[in-house]
Amino acid sequence: MSRLSKKSPSLCTDLPLDNADICKKLDLLRQLLRSCFGPTGRLKQVHNNIGGHVVTTSTSSVLLPAISSSQPFINLIKTSILNHVSRFSDCGLFAAILCLSLIEQAKQSGLRGNVAIRVNKHLLGLCTSYLQGEDCGCKVKLDFCSSQSLITLARSVISSKPTCVLTEPETLHISRLAVQAFLLTVPCSSPGIVSLGKIVTVSVEGHGVLNSTVFPGVLLDMPDVFTIDKVENLPSDALRMVLFSASLAGDLSELGDGIIEVHPGVDTDSQILDQLLELGKQVVKDEVKLFVCQKVIHPVLQQYLRGHGIIVIERLGITLMEPLTQLTGAQPVATLHTTIPAKAYGRVRDLRIRTFGSKTMLHLHPPGECAICTMILCHRNETMLSELKVVCQKTEHVLRLTLREPSALLGGGCTETHLAAYIRHKSMNEIPETVSALGCSQTECLLGVEGFCRSLEAVAAALEHDGGSSLMDLTHAHHWSHPADVLTEHMGDSLGSCGCGLVESSPNQKWTYLNSKYPQFSPAPLSEDASVQPRVLDSFTAKLNALQVAVETANLALDVRYLIQDVN
Amino acid sequence: MVAGMPPVERLHLDHVVQTVCVLESVVLRSFGPEGGQVLFTRDTGQAMLSRSGARILTALRLEHPLARMVVECVLKHSTVTGDGSKTFILLLASLLRMIHKMACKEPNVSHTYTSRQTAEASTARHLADNILAFALEELDDLIAMGVMPYGCCLSWEDFTAKKHLPGPSNNDCVQKLLTSFFHSRLGRSHCDFISKLTCELLTHWKFKRDQPSLSLEFVNDNLDALHTPVSGFPISCSRLIEGQVIHRDFATPCPQTEQKTVKAAVFSGYLQPKLLNAGQVLQLGCGEQWMEENSKNNSSIVQFSAWTERSLECVFANLQSLGVSVILSAVKQSAAVLSLAAQAEMCVVECVSENELSLFTQLSGATPVSDCWMVEPEHVAMLTFCRPILLGAHRYVHVAFNDSEERVTVKPCSLVICGLGEGQTDQYTCAFRDAIRMLLSTWEPMGMTATTASKRTLQSTKSTYSHVDQIPNVPPFQQCGLQPGYVIPAGGTFEFLLHHALLQNGTSCSASDDTVTSGLAVSQLLANALLIVPRQIYSHSPRHFLQAQARFQTIIQNHSHPFSLVYKQEHRSIFGESAFPLEEDKLTKHRFTEADVSAKLFMSDSGLESVSCKYQLLLAVLQCLSSILHVDTVLHTHTQSRRLANTSWEDTDDETED
Repeated sequence: MSRLSKKSPSLCTDLPLDNADICKKLDLLRQLLRSCFGPTGRLKQVHNNIGGHVVTTSTSSVLLPAISSSQPFINLIKTSILNHVSRFSDCGLFAAILCLSLIEQAKQSGLRGNVAIRVNKHLLGLCTSYLQGEDCGCKVKLDFCSSQSLITLARSVISSKPTCVLTEPETLHISRLAVQAFLLTVPCSSPGIVSLGKIVTVSVEGHGVLNSTVFPGVLLDMPDVFTIDKVENLPSDALRMVLFSASLAGDLSELGDGIIEVHPGVDTDSQILDQLLELGKQVVKDEVKLFVCQKVIHPVLQQYLRGHGIIVIERLGITLMEPLTQLTGAQPVATLHTTIPAKAYGRVRDLRIRTFGSKTMLHLHPPGECAICTMILCHRNETMLSELKVVCQKTEHVLRLTLREPSALLGGGCTETHLAAYIRHKSMNEIPETVSALGCSQTECLLGVEGFCRSLEAVAAALEHDGGSSLMDLTHAHHWSHPADVLTEHMGDSLGSCGCGLVESSPNQKWTYLNSKYPQFSPAPLSEDASVQPRVLDSFTAKLNALQVAVETANLALDVRYLIQDVN
Repeated sequence: MVAGMPPVERLHLDHVVQTVCVLESVVLRSFGPEGGQVLFTRDTGQAMLSRSGARILTALRLEHPLARMVVECVLKHSTVTGDGSKTFILLLASLLRMIHKMACKEPNVSHTYTSRQTAEASTARHLADNILAFALEELDDLIAMGVMPYGCCLSWEDFTAKKHLPGPSNNDCVQKLLTSFFHSRLGRSHCDFISKLTCELLTHWKFKRDQPSLSLEFVNDNLDALHTPVSGFPISCSRLIEGQVIHRDFATPCPQTEQKTVKAAVFSGYLQPKLLNAGQVLQLGCGEQWMEENSKNNSSIVQFSAWTERSLECVFANLQSLGVSVILSAVKQSAAVLSLAAQAEMCVVECVSENELSLFTQLSGATPVSDCWMVEPEHVAMLTFCRPILLGAHRYVHVAFNDSEERVTVKPCSLVICGLGEGQTDQYTCAFRDAIRMLLSTWEPMGMTATTASKRTLQSTKSTYSHVDQIPNVPPFQQCGLQPGYVIPAGGTFEFLLHHALLQNGTSCSASDDTVTSGLAVSQLLANALLIVPRQIYSHSPRHFLQAQARFQTIIQNHSHPFSLVYKQEHRSIFGESAFPLEEDKLTKHRFTEADVSAKLFMSDSGLESVSCKYQLLLAVLQCLSSILHVDTVLHTHTQSRRLANTSWEDTDDETED
């Protein structure tokens, strides 16, 4: 071995999971991510060695790309989690902590890699079928008749990102806005395939969060304020508008690669400008009131159009093109020599100038029903604002996921403890079948189950950061946390209610500390009480995928027997 | 270190053995049912996982010339058959060790050699050549008679016609074959799922009345266009979807149509004519005579671009009259094209890759438009739908084709491969590709190889083998060489059986042959070297290896059928009755009830392996063996490439110190 690997440029490591250095790094990563988890998670400041921008965050999607490791093992886990986050926008830390706990537990149990993998895969199957089943005790159906559960879902996402530094009323305000914006993007009356609209986000720095708001329609930047007076004089019903996707600056880009020789006496520029002005004349004749171009407009043409009372907006950018075509029904024009067909024109119902801090914006109302809306986000400083923007986009995504699967899981760690109790109970009852199906011994199987359940419970326990202890009740198997500084005779007095808020503490309830031995039991379903609403809800789709991703990643990591690092 | 390196390096036998054993130790980590993955980083820093021997060996970036030669042999073999790279190294190492042992014991004394080492090397070379010669001559007959009676033949017709058979069919066999392949490539947890998916894909893509290889080759050639990797989802989300996915998004908003058929046209070039090509010169405003020659009759540049726009309008008018509503383009079109298309309510898909367009034209039967002004009905493809599809982070174009006469049996479908990250989807795709190659070489007619073809003339004289009659159930056609499509239970069956056949051959040869010692030795050496494979498969418990060996011994002695043991247990009859008469089934069942129990233990979950792949592998190993033993010296020459190699090595040093 030594002779060849000394010569080969790739670095090799045999059985990497037995390597102390790699284990240390994995443990460090687990502690780092664990400390960020949940509403009381600790923030991390990321700054690079060349004195760049300092980022404060606790979100996995920002934090994980910042962690660069030369260790491929870390990178393997990192990319898995980041891929999950980019698809589902939620539960990234959950997946990461669960995955790292599973690896650690499997190592501690001393099981052969293959056995641990098989047991994990089997238990994952149990989990997913239970979660997808009708009688799942930790799932709630989302009620679209009221916005309450949607707001709770949005609030859970937003409050789990402490970097936004939101007070309680601010959190609620942003949650409401997020739900309102989401509902605006769902078209009311469209038969057949429903295509969701779009939320355009505009961020305004230096204002209080409570000034944030949502408008239907699109808001466009208006750098030239001197046209305001004229706008206010405009009639507010159905204005005609035109949208250009080609540059109107007078350049000729589509002629080809050949050479053009211009002889003296020929003024190409004025020829092109004349052509542009022809276009302007047609637009004026067709009574267009709003002239928008994705790219640059020649100043002379701008002047001409403004002179005829037309509002001109240039350099719109590609991102706003699609919302604007949807909103106005205009078809982007790119031909300069042919007359603009009537159907290419779009319509706007109302134009209004709105100002937010330093920003002056033109508000375009849709002529009819339209699923485009604009969200104005305000916050006190740039760091919080950028995090708030990320959070709102994530919330929108999470809310969209509910359209496919209108369910949510109980938050606050209750789903994890409940699932762990269910798995313990279920696998104990089926142990002979499991053992024969997996081809391992009963001891191995029990060890594997214990490791899996402990990992789930470790995720619930990770929500606690202030030295308190995590508990689980022995009836519904929900998660409770007990503050460190409160000392009472009876535990039930200081507990209040469980993590998700569905279970109130009562004197005859029994608790056990997480990660301690307890007799396995079947977690009881909750009584159907409509008056009690869960306080914390997690996205069902995102969490289910996160669970699968975590277990599959852990299994991949456990399956690695050899490491080859190409160092070229 | 560079200075100290001798320009000439003598290669001794122990060096060769050592080098190959090092490779073996790497490969062993991912071999067999207890093997795992190898995690490696690319030079880009991307982490990749693999169990593919070829991939692992390339990732090592070896510098030793001999090791590189071995790796090249492995790659050459695995690109053809898609399988067997780990076993290749194992067998090679095992053979080398045996040869080394023999050469050390009795170095050839008939010549005078300067040193003991050269004598050893010479003996080894001799042995390797003899083994290769023996294998080229006899191996296919030995396999045909010693191994194939215990296997079964997969027929493509049965596989593709699975729906009509009431019981478990040949499709099960193909799936089992794929399962054990994926087990060795992806690990146990996903092999069932992926093999089922592969089978489904192949059933969709079968061309009736055609040879299996055509259908497989089609999938193999078009796999790039036929699969979409999606990262961020567990592998269990992988699925087949109807039609084709074009890996581009719509360039214009896609209008939602309720029409039954969507008409599409494929363009390979620009729709808007380029006024000037590179090298051409347009002169503006230089007098009457120029204008006449140009026949454009004006001097304003604006007129020229107006002309291109007008011609574009004509093209669109023509397309509209043909009812085309989807334009697939190989290149990026101008903004004017997109704008006019949107106004004409057509959607445009730009920059579609060449192989996707060629697949599209094959499936739709339409020809691509080469001249924009000459769009005819034959250029128009009929689609059942054309809509956006969101796969992972990307929005693609999803099309499905109208059924045409020729494609009654083919249901075009694409594969969505989900994985946790790009590294995983890559791994699954590679495994998929290699699985198709493995199936291809399973069904490849073996008679086509040069060695066997030359042997055909000898066949008639050889058919009077003494032990042919002893083996029951040998259909007559098997006696004339290897049949394509044969499979045998996995888990070392092939090696055990061939081991036995080789030993028998050794003893039978010893009576008649005059080169007694060498013929016998060669047979025995090969036979013993083969046992490394089952030994490593059962490496987690040596007891199981001995049990398996003993069991095979009984099976062979009783001429029973390991296959029938597995399948009769489950009341299945997977063989056609022509090949295995029913009365024989009953016989085996009655005779070996005791053996059944232990047989089931080992075989119930083991899959199948292709005999022809194994045969090709063995030949490739022996060829590689003889070629590496023919090398005696490595010359280190001072050229540009060597200096480059050294600098990269020094870089490595630096990084390790960090």
